Amino acid sequence: MSTRHLLALFNDFDEAVAAIADLRAANIKGFHIDDLILKSPIEHPEVEQVLGDKPVNVQWFTLVGATMGGLLAFILVSAAQGNFFAQLKGGKPIIPLPPNFILTYEMFILGGVFITILGFLICAGLPAKRSPLYSAKVSEDQIGILVQGDESAVAAFKAIFTKHKALEIQEEAAK
Amino acid sequence: MSITNLLENWSDFRHQHPSEDRPHLEYKWAMSIDLDSCTGCNACSVACYAENNLPVVGKEKFAHGHSHHWMRIERYWDNDGREFADQGAQFLPMLCQHCESAPCETVCPVGATNHTADGLNSQVYNRCVGSRYCNANCPYKVRYFNWYDYPTTDNVWPAPMEQQLNPDVTVRGKGVMEKCTFCVQRLTVAKSDARTEGRLVLDGEVQTACQQVCPTGAITFGNLVDPLAKVGKQWMQQQVDLNKDKQAKDAAEDAVKLRGYRILEELRTYPSVMYLEQLRESAI
Amino acid sequence: MEKDIREDIAWAQINKDVLKSLESPRRIYWVILLIAIAMVGVAVGCEIYQYQTGMGVANKNNSHVWSLYIATFIFWIGMSHSGTLLSAILHLMHADWRKPIYRFAEAMTTFSLMTAGLFVMVHLGRLWQVYYVMPYPNERWAWPNFQSPLVWDMFAIATYLSSSVLFLYVGMIPDLAICRDNIHAGWRKKLYTIMSLGWEGTDRQWRNFRMTYLTIACFLIPLAVSVHSIVASDFAMSNMPGWHVTSFPPYFVAGALYSGCAAIITLFIILRYVFRFEEYMTLPIMRKLVRLTFAIAMVWTYLNLIEFASVWYGHDQTAKDQLIFKATGPYAPYFWAMIFFGSILPLMLAFKRFQTHLPILFVVSILLNVGMWLERWMIISPSFAHGHYPWAWDHDQWPSLIQWGMVFGSFGWFTLLFMVFCKVFPSVSMYEVKEMVYHRSLAQKHKPAVKGDY
Repeated sequence: MSTRHLLALFNDFDEAVAAIADLRAANIKGFHIDDLILKSPIEHPEVEQVLGDKPVNVQWFTLVGATMGGLLAFILVSAAQGNFFAQLKGGKPIIPLPPNFILTYEMFILGGVFITILGFLICAGLPAKRSPLYSAKVSEDQIGILVQGDESAVAAFKAIFTKHKALEIQEEAAK
Repeated sequence: MSITNLLENWSDFRHQHPSEDRPHLEYKWAMSIDLDSCTGCNACSVACYAENNLPVVGKEKFAHGHSHHWMRIERYWDNDGREFADQGAQFLPMLCQHCESAPCETVCPVGATNHTADGLNSQVYNRCVGSRYCNANCPYKVRYFNWYDYPTTDNVWPAPMEQQLNPDVTVRGKGVMEKCTFCVQRLTVAKSDARTEGRLVLDGEVQTACQQVCPTGAITFGNLVDPLAKVGKQWMQQQVDLNKDKQAKDAAEDAVKLRGYRILEELRTYPSVMYLEQLRESAI
Repeated sequence: MEKDIREDIAWAQINKDVLKSLESPRRIYWVILLIAIAMVGVAVGCEIYQYQTGMGVANKNNSHVWSLYIATFIFWIGMSHSGTLLSAILHLMHADWRKPIYRFAEAMTTFSLMTAGLFVMVHLGRLWQVYYVMPYPNERWAWPNFQSPLVWDMFAIATYLSSSVLFLYVGMIPDLAICRDNIHAGWRKKLYTIMSLGWEGTDRQWRNFRMTYLTIACFLIPLAVSVHSIVASDFAMSNMPGWHVTSFPPYFVAGALYSGCAAIITLFIILRYVFRFEEYMTLPIMRKLVRLTFAIAMVWTYLNLIEFASVWYGHDQTAKDQLIFKATGPYAPYFWAMIFFGSILPLMLAFKRFQTHLPILFVVSILLNVGMWLERWMIISPSFAHGHYPWAWDHDQWPSLIQWGMVFGSFGWFTLLFMVFCKVFPSVSMYEVKEMVYHRSLAQKHKPAVKGDY
């Protein structure tokens, strides 16, 4: 049995949410609610009430990046100063702490920002090719629901989508 | 490797300079200038131009403040309400003070100016990028910038003047900062000569160009670590301590008036040049 | 109370209006662009001459080693701070009126930082060796001097520039996807396709996007404060009278936000006209912006007074002489002009009738920035003219036309980059305007939106 993809477009976020709730309740064979993807022109954090809580892990990248950035900066700067003692400055120790803390602070932020972006790309799965079922309407004003399920489930999907006034249903066989 | 280095030598790296517990070991070059003997003849300045290949920028650029006198004679007039000062101008030969805690050193972004082991404030021309922060932070304003490319400018060293350039000293191109070096080229020769003979440089063995030409012998230069050196004796006599930002003698009210002082000492620069105040008749 | 934005504006219309700005601005856009290019030409000419001949042509000298370049450098660094204020601080505070205007403010941050970076370079005596300032590994183990505030500057500006470019870019990804979906040919199509990274607006993307945006905003706020504190350290860490002031870092940060807000007002008015953004850059938003500017102007005034007072009542006679010199010497006209433009003129902004009067605001905001530029000049030059050492006093130095040309050209350079950006990328954040409209219409229906979000 081959897997099918279906994209339904809705005019209203509330209708899309109702459709998702129905899909969850309908318990369609060959379909799992985690395979459902909501596409929206703006962020809808409230969708998690029907989709279930999904973890966000970007902040762990941030923690690692910032810590590594700061540590590396301090060690590299101090080691550089320690190996370059011809550069003695009158009135100051060879490894002066206040300036090194400033640089540590800057690199803490730099590391944090860079690794956060990296984490974002990894966690959000970007850059990626667009899925074949994509409508430009989603970046304008409509809400899309992309579901994946067995061929047998397609009829059930369509019934639910139509019930909730889907504007358009696109269908394509997945590989 | 680097981290081991850091951990093993941490206390060395955290050691601050200048301090009493770790004085200079072999050399600490210092100077004293007796303003009472100075006649303002400018011989020191001329000698410096000759010795250190200073560009002669000409009248117009001088007027713009682009001059290069590492050793300059400053004139001060104490008119005291009269049209002319009774005893003429007072003169102050000003050169890099080779501060033990030099404000110029910490601010240089590329580390082109550093404190050497023998107590000089060095300037690495090759490293200088010309941010001019050192001059901005120098309270004495004794650093001079190469505003133009003087070696290629006409009439800076008109022929055959280029023949008299000192081969021991570089000619600086545009965009670098320069300043008095205490004639480091002479110091280096003296030190390596002494090392060959297995001794330290003796007092009087090396002279700076300005000291050498001073007709009245107002300038004394030498090694402050050497107990026999004249300069050290003068500092001692005047109770000027290199590592203090306030001299004990100034605090005591009934102390004997001594002439030795250092310029802008309160900024904690710990200068290596001591001046001996001029005694004017009106002051006696 | 007027509305910041109409709730009934159709989302498709938002796309259409903003995308139109990429296609057909008013003709004055091209005029501005041409003028900007001509101005850049002037600066390039000056720089070539100075590079060939030496720094002397700028008419600096051994007393005045720094001059307009550094003053203008601080000016541009300062201007960049308000983009961060609008995009990061107001984002954390859920001030949704920032949404239509933060994109161009952030672009302003990026481009004014780029302009500032150029001033460091033209200031250097040996520009061709600027890489010595960077800590690059080399076989001689020669490193920059990490104690120097200029090296901190280098670190701080590099961090700030790259972080704010990334912040600008990440915040723009959903909008780039809109561009990709609506533009069907040419190099723009390719550009947007690559830059939008295949964004589809899926729930997973949005979830991670929100967290990323929030995290970077949190990083950018302390970063922005540290950047201008470090620039202030260039002065506060030195021993020059007039510079060695403890209150310099907060004073600089306040001045930075001030000139940045004034610049945002100027650009707001220009963009509103040139790209016909009247629906989005509305007058109520302008009013909020003007009030913010007024508040910051007063903070700046306060910190300015603090600085004068602490010098006046301090025991440092040199610093006090320096202050008196500034107020009465040859720099007095500029000093008092700075006080007038910086502290007196903004009092106008307190009056409601001026808060939305665009022609007046346009002139006033430019004058505020003139005042802030004068502030930077009044920090730099008087200290050199009248420092610690009387022999080196030089009250007559005047920057040459080369310096003025470079300062003049920098405004062209900034305008050029900014205007090109606004034509190539959406300068109003489409998805966030939609969010704003969505939440407002929800609120109108008396339906609670996301918890804590409204």
